Amino acid sequence: MSDETTEFIFSALKANAPTPPDTITAETELELIGLGSLEVVETIFDIEEHFDITIPNPGESDDVSTDFKTAGDVVEAVKQLIALSKQS
Amino acid sequence: MMRVVVTGLGCLSPLGNNTNEFTKNLLGGICAIGPVENIEVLQARTKIAAEVKNFSPQKHFTKSQISQMDRFSLLALMATREAVTDANIDFSNGLAERTAIVYGTGIGGQQTQDDNYRQLYAEGAKRVHPFAIPRTMPSAATSQISMEFGITGPSLATTSACASAAHAIGMALLMLRSGMVDVAITGGSEAPITPGSILPWEGLRVLSKTTCSPFSGKRGGMVLGEGAGTLILETLDHAQQRGAKIYAELSGFGMCADACNLVKPSIEGMARAMSLALSDASLVPSDVAYINAHGTGTPQNDPVETSAIRKVFGDHADKLLVSSSKSMHGHLLGASPAIEAIATIAAIQEQCAPPTMGFIEPDPDCDLNYVFGKSQEQEIDSALSNSFAFGGLNAVLAFKRFLD
Repeated sequence: MSDETTEFIFSALKANAPTPPDTITAETELELIGLGSLEVVETIFDIEEHFDITIPNPGESDDVSTDFKTAGDVVEAVKQLIALSKQS
Repeated sequence: MMRVVVTGLGCLSPLGNNTNEFTKNLLGGICAIGPVENIEVLQARTKIAAEVKNFSPQKHFTKSQISQMDRFSLLALMATREAVTDANIDFSNGLAERTAIVYGTGIGGQQTQDDNYRQLYAEGAKRVHPFAIPRTMPSAATSQISMEFGITGPSLATTSACASAAHAIGMALLMLRSGMVDVAITGGSEAPITPGSILPWEGLRVLSKTTCSPFSGKRGGMVLGEGAGTLILETLDHAQQRGAKIYAELSGFGMCADACNLVKPSIEGMARAMSLALSDASLVPSDVAYINAHGTGTPQNDPVETSAIRKVFGDHADKLLVSSSKSMHGHLLGASPAIEAIATIAAIQEQCAPPTMGFIEPDPDCDLNYVFGKSQEQEIDSALSNSFAFGGLNAVLAFKRFLD
Protein backbone atom coordinates (compact mmCIF):
# COMPACT_ATOMS: atom_id res chain seq x y z
CA MET A 1 0.00 0.00 0.00
CA SER A 2 2.93 2.33 -0.41
CA ASP A 3 1.81 5.13 -2.66
CA GLU A 4 1.26 8.86 -2.22
CA THR A 5 -2.42 8.59 -1.31
CA THR A 6 -1.76 5.98 1.33
CA GLU A 7 1.19 7.90 2.69
CA PHE A 8 -0.83 11.08 3.07
CA ILE A 9 -3.70 9.28 4.80
CA PHE A 10 -1.39 7.46 7.20
CA SER A 11 0.38 10.69 8.05
CA ALA A 12 -2.95 12.48 8.60
CA LEU A 13 -4.12 9.69 10.91
CA LYS A 14 -0.84 9.82 12.76
CA ALA A 15 -1.00 13.60 13.10
CA ASN A 16 -4.49 13.47 14.61
CA ALA A 17 -3.97 10.43 16.85
CA PRO A 18 -3.51 11.30 20.52
CA THR A 19 -1.25 8.25 20.91
CA PRO A 20 0.39 7.85 17.51
CA PRO A 21 2.25 4.58 16.96
CA ASP A 22 5.66 4.52 15.26
CA THR A 23 4.17 3.05 12.12
CA ILE A 24 0.67 2.80 10.76
CA THR A 25 -0.37 -0.11 8.58
CA ALA A 26 -3.60 -0.93 6.77
CA GLU A 27 -4.55 -3.15 9.71
CA THR A 28 -4.07 -0.44 12.34
CA GLU A 29 -7.36 -0.01 14.21
CA LEU A 30 -8.33 3.64 14.57
CA GLU A 31 -9.73 3.22 18.07
CA LEU A 32 -6.55 1.53 19.31
CA ILE A 33 -4.43 4.57 18.42
CA GLY A 34 -6.87 6.88 20.21
CA LEU A 35 -8.78 8.13 17.17
CA GLY A 36 -12.22 8.77 18.67
CA SER A 37 -15.15 10.32 16.82
CA LEU A 38 -13.79 13.87 17.11
CA GLU A 39 -10.32 12.92 15.84
CA VAL A 40 -11.77 10.92 12.95
CA VAL A 41 -13.94 13.88 11.91
CA GLU A 42 -10.86 16.11 11.96
CA THR A 43 -8.81 13.62 9.95
CA ILE A 44 -11.59 13.31 7.36
CA PHE A 45 -11.58 17.10 7.04
CA ASP A 46 -7.81 17.09 6.38
CA ILE A 47 -8.17 14.34 3.76
CA GLU A 48 -11.11 16.07 2.04
CA GLU A 49 -9.16 19.31 1.82
CA HIS A 50 -6.01 17.62 0.49
CA PHE A 51 -7.65 15.53 -2.23
CA ASP A 52 -10.56 17.90 -2.91
CA ILE A 53 -13.12 15.16 -2.39
CA THR A 54 -16.21 14.79 -0.20
CA ILE A 55 -16.29 11.77 2.07
CA PRO A 56 -19.92 10.81 2.73
CA ASN A 57 -21.18 9.92 6.21
CA PRO A 58 -21.48 6.19 7.00
CA GLY A 59 -24.50 4.70 5.23
CA GLU A 60 -24.93 7.72 2.98
CA SER A 61 -23.33 6.26 -0.16
CA ASP A 62 -24.24 2.98 -1.86
CA ASP A 63 -20.87 2.93 -3.68
CA VAL A 64 -18.39 3.64 -0.93
CA SER A 65 -18.33 2.34 2.65
CA THR A 66 -17.15 4.99 5.09
CA ASP A 67 -17.74 3.16 8.35
CA PHE A 68 -14.05 3.33 9.15
CA LYS A 69 -12.56 0.80 11.57
CA THR A 70 -8.99 0.54 10.27
CA ALA A 71 -6.51 2.77 8.43
CA GLY A 72 -6.94 0.47 5.41
CA ASP A 73 -10.71 1.20 5.37
CA VAL A 74 -9.93 4.91 5.02
CA VAL A 75 -7.40 4.34 2.21
CA GLU A 76 -9.78 2.10 0.30
CA ALA A 77 -12.67 4.58 0.50
CA VAL A 78 -10.51 7.56 -0.42
CA LYS A 79 -9.05 5.78 -3.45
CA GLN A 80 -12.56 4.87 -4.61
CA LEU A 81 -13.75 8.45 -4.11
CA ILE A 82 -10.75 9.87 -6.00
CA ALA A 83 -11.47 7.49 -8.88
CA LEU A 84 -15.15 8.44 -8.86
CA SER A 85 -14.34 12.16 -8.82
CA LYS A 86 -12.07 11.69 -11.89
CA GLN A 87 -14.90 9.93 -13.75
CA SER A 88 -17.37 12.75 -13.22
CA MET B 1 -41.22 23.74 49.04
CA MET B 2 -42.90 26.42 46.92
CA ARG B 3 -44.83 24.83 44.03
CA VAL B 4 -44.40 26.31 40.56
CA VAL B 5 -46.95 26.14 37.76
CA VAL B 6 -47.13 26.96 34.07
CA THR B 7 -49.75 29.60 33.32
CA GLY B 8 -48.92 30.77 29.80
CA LEU B 9 -47.50 29.26 26.62
CA GLY B 10 -46.32 30.72 23.34
CA CYS B 11 -44.36 29.46 20.39
CA LEU B 12 -43.32 30.26 16.87
CA SER B 13 -42.03 27.05 15.39
CA PRO B 14 -41.71 25.04 12.21
CA LEU B 15 -44.71 23.01 13.42
CA GLY B 16 -46.96 26.01 13.92
CA ASN B 17 -46.89 29.75 14.45
CA ASN B 18 -48.78 29.56 17.75
CA THR B 19 -49.26 27.00 20.50
CA ASN B 20 -52.62 25.68 19.30
CA GLU B 21 -51.32 25.08 15.80
CA PHE B 22 -48.13 23.54 17.21
CA THR B 23 -50.08 21.14 19.45
CA LYS B 24 -52.45 20.11 16.67
CA ASN B 25 -49.61 19.36 14.26
CA LEU B 26 -47.50 17.72 16.97
CA LEU B 27 -50.20 15.24 17.93
CA GLY B 28 -51.23 14.85 14.30
CA GLY B 29 -47.74 13.63 13.35
CA ILE B 30 -47.08 16.41 10.85
CA CYS B 31 -43.45 16.64 9.75
CA ALA B 32 -42.25 20.21 9.17
CA ILE B 33 -38.91 19.17 7.67
CA GLY B 34 -38.42 20.09 4.02
CA PRO B 35 -36.21 21.82 1.49
CA VAL B 36 -34.69 25.06 2.79
CA GLU B 37 -36.68 27.94 1.30
CA ASN B 38 -35.91 31.04 3.36
CA ILE B 39 -32.21 31.22 2.42
CA GLU B 40 -29.71 29.93 -0.13
CA VAL B 41 -27.68 27.13 1.42
CA LEU B 42 -24.71 27.95 -0.84
CA GLN B 43 -21.99 25.28 -0.75
CA ALA B 44 -23.66 23.08 1.88
CA ARG B 45 -24.68 19.61 0.76
CA THR B 46 -27.49 19.68 3.30
CA LYS B 47 -30.56 21.11 1.58
CA ILE B 48 -33.19 20.41 4.24
CA ALA B 49 -34.24 22.04 7.52
CA ALA B 50 -37.32 22.79 9.60
CA GLU B 51 -38.06 26.46 9.02
CA VAL B 52 -40.59 28.87 10.46
CA LYS B 53 -42.93 29.68 7.58
CA ASN B 54 -45.37 32.52 6.91
CA PHE B 55 -43.69 34.90 9.31
CA SER B 56 -43.22 38.45 8.05
CA PRO B 57 -41.52 40.59 10.69
CA GLN B 58 -42.90 43.73 8.98
CA LYS B 59 -46.39 42.72 10.03
CA HIS B 60 -45.48 42.54 13.69
CA PHE B 61 -42.63 44.99 14.28
CA THR B 62 -41.73 48.59 13.46
CA LYS B 63 -38.87 49.37 11.10
CA SER B 64 -36.72 50.49 13.99
CA GLN B 65 -37.43 47.27 15.96
CA ILE B 66 -36.49 45.15 12.96
CA SER B 67 -33.29 47.08 12.54
CA GLN B 68 -32.40 46.42 16.18
CA MET B 69 -33.18 42.72 16.27
CA ASP B 70 -31.70 39.53 14.89
CA ARG B 71 -34.17 36.85 13.80
CA PHE B 72 -33.69 34.96 17.09
CA SER B 73 -34.95 38.00 19.03
CA LEU B 74 -37.89 38.50 16.68
CA LEU B 75 -38.90 34.86 17.17
CA ALA B 76 -38.46 35.19 20.95
CA LEU B 77 -40.69 38.26 21.12
CA MET B 78 -43.40 36.66 19.01
CA ALA B 79 -43.48 33.59 21.27
CA THR B 80 -43.42 35.74 24.39
CA ARG B 81 -46.24 38.01 23.21
CA GLU B 82 -48.40 34.94 22.77
CA ALA B 83 -47.42 33.52 26.18
CA VAL B 84 -48.05 36.80 28.03
CA THR B 85 -51.44 37.24 26.34
CA ASP B 86 -52.25 33.61 27.06
CA ALA B 87 -51.38 34.04 30.75
CA ASN B 88 -53.59 37.15 30.87
CA ILE B 89 -51.11 38.77 33.22
CA ASP B 90 -50.73 42.42 34.13
CA PHE B 91 -47.22 43.44 35.19
CA SER B 92 -48.23 46.78 36.76
CA ASN B 93 -48.59 47.38 40.52
CA GLY B 94 -45.08 46.21 41.28
CA LEU B 95 -45.23 42.82 39.56
CA ALA B 96 -42.70 43.91 36.89
CA GLU B 97 -40.05 44.03 39.66
CA ARG B 98 -41.10 40.62 40.97
CA THR B 99 -40.87 39.01 37.53
CA ALA B 100 -37.74 37.32 36.17
CA ILE B 101 -36.73 36.71 32.58
CA VAL B 102 -34.46 33.74 31.98
CA TYR B 103 -34.19 33.01 28.29
CA GLY B 104 -31.91 30.52 26.55
CA THR B 105 -30.11 30.45 23.25
CA GLY B 106 -27.29 28.27 22.01
CA ILE B 107 -25.54 30.96 20.02
CA GLY B 108 -27.62 34.12 19.61
CA GLY B 109 -27.69 36.36 16.56
CA GLN B 110 -26.31 34.01 13.94
CA GLN B 111 -28.00 35.65 11.00
CA THR B 112 -26.49 39.02 11.91
CA GLN B 113 -23.04 37.48 12.25
CA ASP B 114 -23.42 35.64 8.98
CA ASP B 115 -24.48 38.84 7.16
CA ASN B 116 -21.56 40.76 8.68
CA TYR B 117 -18.96 38.21 7.70
CA ARG B 118 -20.30 38.00 4.17
CA GLN B 119 -20.20 41.76 3.82
CA LEU B 120 -16.74 41.98 5.37
CA TYR B 121 -14.92 39.08 3.71
CA ALA B 122 -16.83 38.48 0.49
CA GLU B 123 -17.97 41.94 -0.40
CA GLY B 124 -15.11 43.95 1.06
CA ALA B 125 -17.44 46.17 3.10
CA LYS B 126 -15.80 49.05 4.94
CA ARG B 127 -18.50 49.06 7.60
CA VAL B 128 -21.20 46.72 8.91
CA HIS B 129 -24.59 47.45 10.48
CA PRO B 130 -24.22 49.70 13.53
CA PHE B 131 -26.46 47.45 15.65
CA ALA B 132 -24.54 44.29 14.80
CA ILE B 133 -23.32 43.86 18.37
CA PRO B 134 -26.59 44.41 20.28
CA ARG B 135 -28.38 42.24 17.73
CA THR B 136 -25.89 39.40 18.05
CA MET B 137 -25.40 39.15 21.81
CA PRO B 138 -27.01 35.99 23.24
CA SER B 139 -28.78 38.11 25.87
CA ALA B 140 -30.45 40.31 23.22
CA ALA B 141 -33.73 38.38 23.31
CA THR B 142 -33.89 38.72 27.10
CA SER B 143 -33.36 42.48 26.83
CA GLN B 144 -35.96 42.84 24.09
CA ILE B 145 -38.52 40.95 26.19
CA SER B 146 -37.77 43.11 29.22
CA MET B 147 -38.17 46.31 27.19
CA GLU B 148 -41.38 45.26 25.48
CA PHE B 149 -43.15 44.26 28.69
CA GLY B 150 -41.38 46.65 31.08
CA ILE B 151 -40.02 43.78 33.17
CA THR B 152 -37.50 45.08 35.72
CA GLY B 153 -36.82 41.97 37.80
CA PRO B 154 -33.75 39.71 37.58
CA SER B 155 -33.11 39.00 33.90
CA LEU B 156 -30.43 37.01 32.11
CA ALA B 157 -29.74 34.63 29.27
CA THR B 158 -28.57 31.06 29.64
CA THR B 159 -26.40 29.33 27.11
CA SER B 160 -25.55 25.64 27.18
CA ALA B 161 -25.80 24.58 23.53
CA CYS B 162 -28.81 22.31 22.99
CA ALA B 163 -29.85 22.43 26.64
CA SER B 164 -29.93 26.26 26.86
CA ALA B 165 -33.70 26.65 27.24
CA ALA B 166 -33.92 23.74 29.70
CA HIS B 167 -31.34 25.44 31.88
CA ALA B 168 -33.32 28.69 31.51
CA ILE B 169 -36.54 27.02 32.65
CA GLY B 170 -34.68 25.25 35.45
CA MET B 171 -33.06 28.47 36.66
CA ALA B 172 -36.44 30.21 36.57
CA LEU B 173 -37.86 27.40 38.68
CA LEU B 174 -35.14 27.83 41.28
CA MET B 175 -35.67 31.62 41.40
CA LEU B 176 -39.40 31.13 41.94
CA ARG B 177 -38.89 28.48 44.61
CA SER B 178 -36.41 30.69 46.45
CA GLY B 179 -38.99 33.46 46.77
CA MET B 180 -36.87 35.87 44.72
CA VAL B 181 -39.72 36.42 42.24
CA ASP B 182 -43.41 35.55 41.81
CA VAL B 183 -43.46 35.19 38.03
CA ALA B 184 -40.89 34.17 35.40
CA ILE B 185 -40.85 34.53 31.65
CA THR B 186 -38.66 31.73 30.35
CA GLY B 187 -37.89 29.53 27.38
CA GLY B 188 -35.54 29.92 24.45
CA SER B 189 -35.00 31.00 20.89
CA GLU B 190 -32.68 30.03 18.04
CA ALA B 191 -32.37 31.00 14.39
CA PRO B 192 -29.49 28.86 13.11
CA ILE B 193 -30.56 28.35 9.50
CA THR B 194 -27.87 30.37 7.77
CA PRO B 195 -25.23 29.21 5.26
CA GLY B 196 -22.49 29.95 7.77
CA SER B 197 -24.19 27.79 10.37
CA ILE B 198 -25.29 24.83 8.23
CA LEU B 199 -21.79 24.19 6.88
CA PRO B 200 -20.11 23.79 10.30
CA TRP B 201 -22.89 21.42 11.42
CA GLU B 202 -22.29 19.46 8.25
CA GLY B 203 -18.58 19.38 9.08
CA LEU B 204 -19.41 17.69 12.38
CA ARG B 205 -21.04 14.91 10.33
CA VAL B 206 -24.26 14.88 12.33
CA LEU B 207 -26.71 16.31 9.77
CA SER B 208 -29.13 14.14 7.83
CA LYS B 209 -29.53 14.83 4.13
CA THR B 210 -33.01 13.31 3.94
CA THR B 211 -35.14 13.47 7.07
CA CYS B 212 -34.97 12.97 10.82
CA SER B 213 -35.57 9.40 12.00
CA PRO B 214 -34.90 9.21 15.73
CA PHE B 215 -34.46 5.73 17.21
CA SER B 216 -34.72 4.08 13.75
CA GLY B 217 -32.17 1.86 12.12
CA LYS B 218 -30.41 3.59 9.19
CA ARG B 219 -31.11 7.02 10.70
CA GLY B 220 -29.02 9.68 9.01
CA GLY B 221 -28.67 12.31 11.73
CA MET B 222 -30.33 15.46 12.96
CA VAL B 223 -32.07 18.21 11.01
CA LEU B 224 -31.62 21.86 11.94
CA GLY B 225 -34.72 23.78 12.98
CA GLU B 226 -35.51 27.32 14.12
CA GLY B 227 -38.04 28.90 16.40
CA ALA B 228 -38.83 30.03 19.92
CA GLY B 229 -40.90 28.85 22.85
CA THR B 230 -41.93 30.81 25.93
CA LEU B 231 -43.41 29.60 29.21
CA ILE B 232 -44.90 31.82 31.90
CA LEU B 233 -44.11 30.27 35.26
CA GLU B 234 -45.62 31.39 38.55
CA THR B 235 -45.59 30.27 42.12
CA LEU B 236 -48.80 28.35 42.77
CA ASP B 237 -49.89 30.92 45.37
CA HIS B 238 -49.49 33.79 42.96
CA ALA B 239 -51.28 31.97 40.15
CA GLN B 240 -54.19 31.01 42.39
CA GLN B 241 -54.50 34.49 43.92
CA ARG B 242 -55.03 35.99 40.51
CA GLY B 243 -57.21 33.13 39.28
CA ALA B 244 -54.82 32.09 36.50
CA LYS B 245 -55.49 29.11 34.28
CA ILE B 246 -52.92 26.41 35.05
CA TYR B 247 -51.54 24.13 32.35
CA ALA B 248 -49.30 21.93 34.47
CA GLU B 249 -46.95 21.94 37.40
CA LEU B 250 -43.21 22.22 36.78
CA SER B 251 -42.39 19.70 39.47
CA GLY B 252 -38.68 19.09 39.08
CA PHE B 253 -35.38 19.84 37.45
CA GLY B 254 -32.14 17.89 37.24
CA MET B 255 -28.86 19.04 35.77
CA CYS B 256 -25.30 17.79 35.66
CA ALA B 257 -22.18 17.61 33.50
CA ASP B 258 -20.48 14.57 31.92
CA ALA B 259 -16.93 15.94 32.19
CA CYS B 260 -16.14 13.56 29.38
CA ASN B 261 -16.29 14.49 25.69
CA LEU B 262 -17.18 17.52 23.57
CA VAL B 263 -19.63 15.69 21.34
CA LYS B 264 -20.05 12.14 22.62
CA PRO B 265 -22.95 11.63 25.05
CA SER B 266 -22.63 9.60 28.22
CA ILE B 267 -25.11 7.09 29.62
CA GLU B 268 -24.09 7.98 33.17
CA GLY B 269 -24.56 11.73 32.66
CA MET B 270 -27.96 11.39 31.02
CA ALA B 271 -29.12 8.92 33.67
CA ARG B 272 -27.94 11.12 36.51
CA ALA B 273 -29.81 14.17 35.12
CA MET B 274 -33.03 12.12 34.85
CA SER B 275 -32.59 10.71 38.37
CA LEU B 276 -31.97 14.19 39.77
CA ALA B 277 -35.13 15.49 38.10
CA LEU B 278 -37.14 12.59 39.51
CA SER B 279 -35.92 13.12 43.05
CA ASP B 280 -36.36 16.89 42.80
CA ALA B 281 -39.98 16.26 41.78
CA SER B 282 -40.41 13.62 44.53
CA LEU B 283 -41.24 11.04 41.88
CA VAL B 284 -40.37 7.37 41.66
CA PRO B 285 -39.69 5.95 38.18
CA SER B 286 -43.09 4.20 37.98
CA ASP B 287 -44.86 7.59 38.34
CA VAL B 288 -43.61 8.67 34.90
CA ALA B 289 -45.73 7.77 31.87
CA TYR B 290 -44.06 9.75 29.08
CA ILE B 291 -40.60 11.06 28.17
CA ASN B 292 -40.07 13.66 25.49
CA ALA B 293 -36.62 12.40 24.54
CA HIS B 294 -33.64 14.43 23.43
CA GLY B 295 -33.84 12.02 20.43
CA THR B 296 -31.72 13.88 17.90
CA GLY B 297 -31.74 11.07 15.33
CA THR B 298 -27.95 10.87 15.29
CA PRO B 299 -26.21 7.49 15.51
CA GLN B 300 -24.53 8.75 18.68
CA ASN B 301 -27.45 10.01 20.80
CA ASP B 302 -30.28 7.55 20.39
CA PRO B 303 -28.82 4.26 21.70
CA VAL B 304 -27.08 6.09 24.56
CA GLU B 305 -30.31 7.83 25.59
CA THR B 306 -32.14 4.49 25.36
CA SER B 307 -29.59 2.85 27.67
CA ALA B 308 -29.77 5.78 30.08
CA ILE B 309 -33.58 5.49 30.26
CA ARG B 310 -33.25 1.76 30.91
CA LYS B 311 -30.69 2.44 33.64
CA VAL B 312 -32.97 4.89 35.47
CA PHE B 313 -36.34 3.23 34.92
CA GLY B 314 -35.43 -0.47 35.08
CA ASP B 315 -38.46 -2.68 34.33
CA HIS B 316 -40.72 0.35 34.07
CA ALA B 317 -38.81 1.44 30.93
CA ASP B 318 -40.89 -1.02 28.90
CA LYS B 319 -44.12 0.61 30.10
CA LEU B 320 -42.98 4.15 29.26
CA LEU B 321 -43.89 6.00 26.11
CA VAL B 322 -40.81 7.76 24.73
CA SER B 323 -40.91 9.99 21.70
CA SER B 324 -38.80 12.53 19.86
CA SER B 325 -40.76 15.50 18.57
CA LYS B 326 -37.54 16.59 16.80
CA SER B 327 -38.65 14.13 14.11
CA MET B 328 -41.29 16.76 13.25
CA HIS B 329 -39.92 20.17 14.28
CA GLY B 330 -36.23 19.50 13.77
CA HIS B 331 -33.51 20.42 16.24
CA LEU B 332 -33.91 24.03 17.33
CA LEU B 333 -30.63 23.75 19.26
CA GLY B 334 -30.83 26.05 22.30
CA ALA B 335 -34.56 26.59 21.77
CA SER B 336 -35.43 22.89 21.45
CA PRO B 337 -35.99 22.35 25.18
CA ALA B 338 -38.52 25.22 25.20
CA ILE B 339 -40.78 23.86 22.50
CA GLU B 340 -40.23 20.33 23.78
CA ALA B 341 -41.39 21.52 27.21
CA ILE B 342 -44.52 22.81 25.47
CA ALA B 343 -44.84 19.42 23.71
CA THR B 344 -44.54 17.66 27.08
CA ILE B 345 -47.18 19.92 28.63
CA ALA B 346 -49.41 19.26 25.61
CA ALA B 347 -48.98 15.52 26.19
CA ILE B 348 -50.16 15.96 29.79
CA GLN B 349 -53.00 18.29 28.83
CA GLU B 350 -54.28 16.09 26.03
CA GLN B 351 -53.39 12.79 27.78
CA CYS B 352 -51.74 11.75 24.55
CA ALA B 353 -48.08 11.07 23.69
CA PRO B 354 -46.84 12.76 20.51
CA PRO B 355 -45.41 10.36 17.93
CA THR B 356 -41.88 9.85 16.65
CA MET B 357 -42.09 10.24 12.89
CA GLY B 358 -39.61 9.20 10.18
CA PHE B 359 -39.43 5.51 11.13
CA ILE B 360 -37.29 3.49 8.68
CA GLU B 361 -36.55 0.14 10.31
CA PRO B 362 -35.96 -1.16 13.84
CA ASP B 363 -32.61 -0.59 15.53
CA PRO B 364 -31.77 -3.42 17.97
CA ASP B 365 -29.97 -0.89 20.20
CA CYS B 366 -33.13 1.24 20.49
CA ASP B 367 -35.71 -1.03 22.07
CA LEU B 368 -38.25 1.13 23.91
CA ASN B 369 -41.79 2.13 22.86
CA TYR B 370 -41.06 5.22 20.76
CA VAL B 371 -44.66 5.84 19.62
CA PHE B 372 -43.64 5.48 15.98
CA GLY B 373 -45.90 6.96 13.33
CA LYS B 374 -48.99 7.94 15.32
CA SER B 375 -49.69 9.65 18.63
CA GLN B 376 -50.90 7.41 21.42
CA GLU B 377 -53.57 8.14 24.02
CA GLN B 378 -52.26 7.44 27.47
CA GLU B 379 -52.94 8.48 31.04
CA ILE B 380 -50.04 10.84 31.75
CA ASP B 381 -49.70 12.28 35.24
CA SER B 382 -45.97 12.93 35.11
CA ALA B 383 -43.62 13.36 32.19
CA LEU B 384 -39.97 14.23 31.63
CA SER B 385 -38.41 16.39 28.95
CA ASN B 386 -34.78 15.46 28.24
CA SER B 387 -32.09 17.78 26.88
CA PHE B 388 -28.49 16.68 26.53
CA ALA B 389 -26.13 19.25 25.08
CA PHE B 390 -22.82 18.97 23.28
CA GLY B 391 -20.05 19.28 25.79
CA GLY B 392 -21.92 17.00 28.19
CA LEU B 393 -24.27 19.53 29.77
CA ASN B 394 -27.45 17.69 30.75
CA ALA B 395 -30.79 19.14 31.84
CA VAL B 396 -34.08 17.35 32.49
CA LEU B 397 -37.42 18.94 33.35
CA ALA B 398 -40.28 17.13 35.13
CA PHE B 399 -43.86 18.22 34.53
CA LYS B 400 -46.93 16.99 36.37
CA ARG B 401 -50.66 17.16 35.73
CA PHE B 402 -51.88 19.95 37.97
CA LEU B 403 -53.94 18.85 40.94
CA ASP B 404 -54.73 21.36 43.64
